Amino acid sequence: MLEKLVPRGSTYAADIDLLFDVITYLVGFWFILVFGFFLYCLFRFRRKAGVKAQYITGETHKQKMAIEVPHYLILGCDVVILIMTFFVWHKVKIDMPTPDEEVRIVAQQWAWSFYHAGQDGILGTEDDIATVNELHIKAGTQYKFHLEATDVMHSFSVPIFRLKQDAIPGRIIYGHFNALDTVIGEWDIQCAEMCGYMHGGMGARLFVETPEQHAEWIAANTPDHLKTASIAATTTQESKEDAKNG
Amino acid sequence: MKLKTTSRSSIVLKLAFCASLFLVATVSSQADERGKQLYKNCIACHGAEAEGNKAFKAPALAALSEKYLVAQLTKYKEGHRGMDVRDVAGLQMAPMTQTLSGPEDIAAVAKYIASLESTPKEATLDGDPEKGKTAYATCAACHGADAAGNDLLNSPSLLHQYDWYTLAQLKNFKEGIRGTHPSDITGSQMRPMAMLLADEQAMKDIVAYIQTLSN
Ligand SMILES: [Cu+2]
Repeated sequence: MLEKLVPRGSTYAADIDLLFDVITYLVGFWFILVFGFFLYCLFRFRRKAGVKAQYITGETHKQKMAIEVPHYLILGCDVVILIMTFFVWHKVKIDMPTPDEEVRIVAQQWAWSFYHAGQDGILGTEDDIATVNELHIKAGTQYKFHLEATDVMHSFSVPIFRLKQDAIPGRIIYGHFNALDTVIGEWDIQCAEMCGYMHGGMGARLFVETPEQHAEWIAANTPDHLKTASIAATTTQESKEDAKNG
Repeated sequence: MKLKTTSRSSIVLKLAFCASLFLVATVSSQADERGKQLYKNCIACHGAEAEGNKAFKAPALAALSEKYLVAQLTKYKEGHRGMDVRDVAGLQMAPMTQTLSGPEDIAAVAKYIASLESTPKEATLDGDPEKGKTAYATCAACHGADAAGNDLLNSPSLLHQYDWYTLAQLKNFKEGIRGTHPSDITGSQMRPMAMLLADEQAMKDIVAYIQTLSN
């Protein structure tokens, strides 16, 4: 249902959409049924000349069943939603896949700062690329993000990822995403937590790039004096990966 | 008959002249109204009299010229200022320019701000105005011996400004937080000037001297 409005751009977007659909259809089914029955009763048992209204206390077994049966059926639906929610929540928020890349995201009134790991792929080094309101990522790459807020609460919302994560001052909140290569291009990022006067203007752009495009972008944004160290950095990264595989 | 025509056309001309005056007056007063209306978005931080507010790191604006205000608002809107991750206050200002839809709005709000009355601000830093006076000679070339600024050189007035703000901007220029965007021509003129100042104390001295010019 949702993918017709906003494409699915992350590995877990389909799970969120499925959960969304299940909730919508289950709740929608009961909504239509209950209101249909309600309206039916309104017309079927409307005031008629010569018919006296009945007062029903709802104490007989049969009358109670009219409440209890739908009650348990709805509870059953709740359990289905709950179990699904548990799995999706675990996949999106609890589980932390081994990252290929990391990115630091800092929210402030009313801008996003993104610290990309740069060519060495390691966050917090000299060749990090800091940008305002522009996040550049490689499709098909597992990212881990470090989300911070400097002043008040914000929320990092990426509609195509179906990702929404609050940022809280004084805390670093970790999360992950992996962009699908079907969404190469430019997308929205929006603050989704009321954060003051210009909350509505606190948007940013997400650039989902192919590995080649991303490498180009990194090269264009790395100062020349840091570029010479790239070979050394690649070697250390390879040995790090060897250690990980071994 | 001929005379009559002349007088008639002169009346028409006079009427047209009056009408055009009226039109100009209406249009410009509409622009003034628009400026006042737009400024309501700025009040939360900069105050009703554009007096600024330290709690929000918001500078006083009332003493700045219309031209300078237009230039800075345009820079913010186009991302030439307030787009450095270290510029916390600038990042906060930049999205505010979204409330201005284009050059007309920027001109209107700048005109309104420039029409407001400015007041001297109390000194809060421990600079030595005597030392600052000597160093200020360099600044005087553009900002004037009286620090009133010069629109022809795109240099802002430094009067009636908070010392903490002027200090913060000097630091921003020196550290390359402000004046480094390739399109920020006037900022890049100021940057090497700020780099002449050896340390924070030298900046405070100059600011302390500028503060004495306000009174
Ligand atoms: Cu926000």
